[in-house]
Amino acid sequence: MSEVQKKRRFGFFRWIVLALILIGIYFAFIGPSIYSPVRPAISLPPEALWPGLEIFGVPITNTLFATLIADLILIWMALRVRSYVKSGAMVPSGVSNFFEAIFEFLWNAVDGAAGKWARRVIPLVATIFMLIFVANLIKMVPGFESIGYLEPPKKGAAYAPVPLFSLFGHTVYTIDKGQPVRLEAKGAVSEGSEAAHAEEGHELCKGCQIVPFLRGSATDLNFTFALAIIAVVMTQVYGVMALGPGYFGKFFQFGRLVNGGIFGMIDFGVGILELILEFFKNLSFSFRLFGNVFGGAALLAIIGTLLPVVLPPLLYLFEMFFGIIQAYVFYLLATMFISMAMVSHHGDEAAEAHN
Amino acid sequence: MNDPIAFVTGLKLLGAGLAMLGAIGAGVGVGIAAAGGVQAMGRNPDAAPIIQTNMILGMAFAEAVAIYALAVSLIIIFAAG
Repeated sequence: MSEVQKKRRFGFFRWIVLALILIGIYFAFIGPSIYSPVRPAISLPPEALWPGLEIFGVPITNTLFATLIADLILIWMALRVRSYVKSGAMVPSGVSNFFEAIFEFLWNAVDGAAGKWARRVIPLVATIFMLIFVANLIKMVPGFESIGYLEPPKKGAAYAPVPLFSLFGHTVYTIDKGQPVRLEAKGAVSEGSEAAHAEEGHELCKGCQIVPFLRGSATDLNFTFALAIIAVVMTQVYGVMALGPGYFGKFFQFGRLVNGGIFGMIDFGVGILELILEFFKNLSFSFRLFGNVFGGAALLAIIGTLLPVVLPPLLYLFEMFFGIIQAYVFYLLATMFISMAMVSHHGDEAAEAHN
Repeated sequence: MNDPIAFVTGLKLLGAGLAMLGAIGAGVGVGIAAAGGVQAMGRNPDAAPIIQTNMILGMAFAEAVAIYALAVSLIIIFAAG
């Protein structure tokens, strides 16, 4: 016991943490104002990667770019796992190890819910889980929502740009918290300066905010809504795969309406209600994921302004935890809805009515 | 009342703040889910991993309602009026 106590260096990391906190206090409050974080201009819809970058009127957004990066990471992970499986080694290493642990975890949930259909269900739901998982984790990398191009904000605070250094012939600016700029007549200025931007090319704005090049994928309602639609439509597809076209008899129970008496009419109403519930699942899936991730990003940006010293790392931990939890919740709900859709619902009713 | 834009903006922000009152129900719901989970774990410590998984699942469901309230509040601020 005494050997262990002698080997442990007394209080080494606490000095590092204290030094970091002091450096943070200096940069945030005392030092030059270009180092302290600015009040963010939170915008709900995603912005274009470069002003004017559009295909048939649909802008290429920064969240699309982040989703592409998450896709590339997933493809790389899949290729590594494939090479491990092909090599026939018994013990995986690196990414394959991590993937094996996650996959066992996912497989237990699907196996418990779906039973004999588990092998056909798991590719879709596990892919959704891995995509949301990777997308929520890479948005924690520093620089993800802070490096971008300058533009006058449509609403929110604007700050004056300060040139930092020159990179490949272009100047890199940062915005200065100590020089807030008041944009007069917001409606006129935003229209005017956007027009100026389009006509004269790169005209530097007087009061600017940063529009980031990369933004977390799930902060975009398009991303979460697309995943929700995929999950709900595939639920119907799996239901038809398991039960045949009679699957839709779950919603339109005309048989029960005709020869069931009063309970038949109630069952018919329940069937219509289940149809409405299918559409509500869309909303529920997408808004749960979107609200958690966007709210977390907005919270990080605002708390980063108010108290930049001690609280943001705790919020980062919170954000990472919630990102993983939300991926897991999406996955588990999708699995359960698919499993419930594949169980024969009508059969039980018919057996019950014949008693 | 002299500046209608400021009046509308002020009421809009007030509405967004009031929309978050829906988070009260979510807070109570998460507390009830956690209470049920912790009591079950106390009664049956061997089943703790299963109970913990389902408890977190239940909490995520209850929290989603607060997120709906947040979504309404964000829509009021950014996309309405």
